[in-house]
Amino acid sequence: MLKSTIVDTRVRLRPSKKVLEFLAKHKEHFDDAPANLAQILKKNGYKLLEKTTILKDSEISTKRPAIDTKLLAKLTSNVSDLTATEESEQEEEQEELEDEKPQPVDGSYLYLTDLHWLHDVMIKLRAKDITNVFLHELIESCELILPENEFKPRNPELEARCQRLREQQQNREYQKMTKNVDATLQHYPEDTIAYQLKSINKQIIAVAQFIFSVAAGFTFGFFGVNLMVGPLPFGFRILLGVIVALVIALAEMYFLAKKLHEYDEVFDAPKRKQAEESVKSSGVQKVKPHIE
Amino acid sequence: MTADNCKSDKNATGQLLDSLYLDMFHLIEEHTQCRLDIERTNASGAILLARTKFQQGGQSLSSAQIPTENSAEFNALCRVVDKTDDDKTDKVSIERHSVDKENGYVEPLHWFSVLPPMSLRTAVERFKKSIELVAESTNLQRELAKVLNGIDRLRRSLAL
Repeated sequence: MLKSTIVDTRVRLRPSKKVLEFLAKHKEHFDDAPANLAQILKKNGYKLLEKTTILKDSEISTKRPAIDTKLLAKLTSNVSDLTATEESEQEEEQEELEDEKPQPVDGSYLYLTDLHWLHDVMIKLRAKDITNVFLHELIESCELILPENEFKPRNPELEARCQRLREQQQNREYQKMTKNVDATLQHYPEDTIAYQLKSINKQIIAVAQFIFSVAAGFTFGFFGVNLMVGPLPFGFRILLGVIVALVIALAEMYFLAKKLHEYDEVFDAPKRKQAEESVKSSGVQKVKPHIE
Repeated sequence: MTADNCKSDKNATGQLLDSLYLDMFHLIEEHTQCRLDIERTNASGAILLARTKFQQGGQSLSSAQIPTENSAEFNALCRVVDKTDDDKTDKVSIERHSVDKENGYVEPLHWFSVLPPMSLRTAVERFKKSIELVAESTNLQRELAKVLNGIDRLRRSLAL
């Protein structure tokens, strides 16, 4: 099982009956409702009034509320940072959870925009003295669902491919190991014509590229500059051509050396690996007591 | 008078608690988003590193290029700095020093080659970005802890 990335970063709240009942009770006091909330109410058998307009998510302001830190400090000045009481509180909460009413329909969640709307509505309701319930009292009964990683099994195709590649690798290693035992495998694959042609081809192409670019450089110096600037003496043209060709040859030489070195490494790599391994194993053998 | 006072106090507490809860949700979302961004930038950086290695060939890197215990000392280019804001929240920020060879600030990218390939350079950019995101995530986490603490204290003061 692999952890996949979180797709939905939104915080979700599963609304409790209390919230829905509260909303249904006060539905005549608000003129609009977010689409999501309206849907949840509908799903759970509550009806909104017909005059209620449905808001889109973009129409609700979701600014982070400003926290009055001074007021917070003032109000909590008489509360010490007790940790012992927390446990008992948690126990109480658990008890509350147990005797909760049955959950509403699955898959209906309140999002941040809905909460913002609810917050605004409750401020209005409190101002009109219709209710004195606070948002935190309502959402205490709700279940908070945090964004989580989904677990999904590894793609079987990928698994099969990995397995195949691993087998190929092991096969190759085994053949290398048994090369000097089996006579038919003795010259495989280095001595097959295809293998040799392939490696020669690669190197020939690299060298041909080098020759071509040098020739092109010389041509440019010999003809191109003459055409651009005007008639030049023959000796000077040759000199120019040689200089340009030299510069290109130097640059190209660097790349050619790098490339050829890489080819060598590719061909040597398995052998070198074996050599390293043998060095290691011999190092281990030194520890063993000598037979003699 | 005292009853009225008590009521307004309770009102204020309630409103504060409401906004604290909303703030908490906001912070949780932002924090998640931030962690997601870290994951993404890190993954793309790692992929670019792998591509660099693939393009350069397996044996192009040797341990001699990387500084060991005996090599000359150098200073860190990037530091984590603790800053205290005006509203008393500890904030972490990343401070970067420009490369200055004489004073010991070396560019680590040049250990590997004078002309590093494009993918390696982009990978470096990604990892730098990811460090900044980590700092941001730390700040968000601290803020969240503060808000949670506030909620906890406020609720206890309500219960009193």
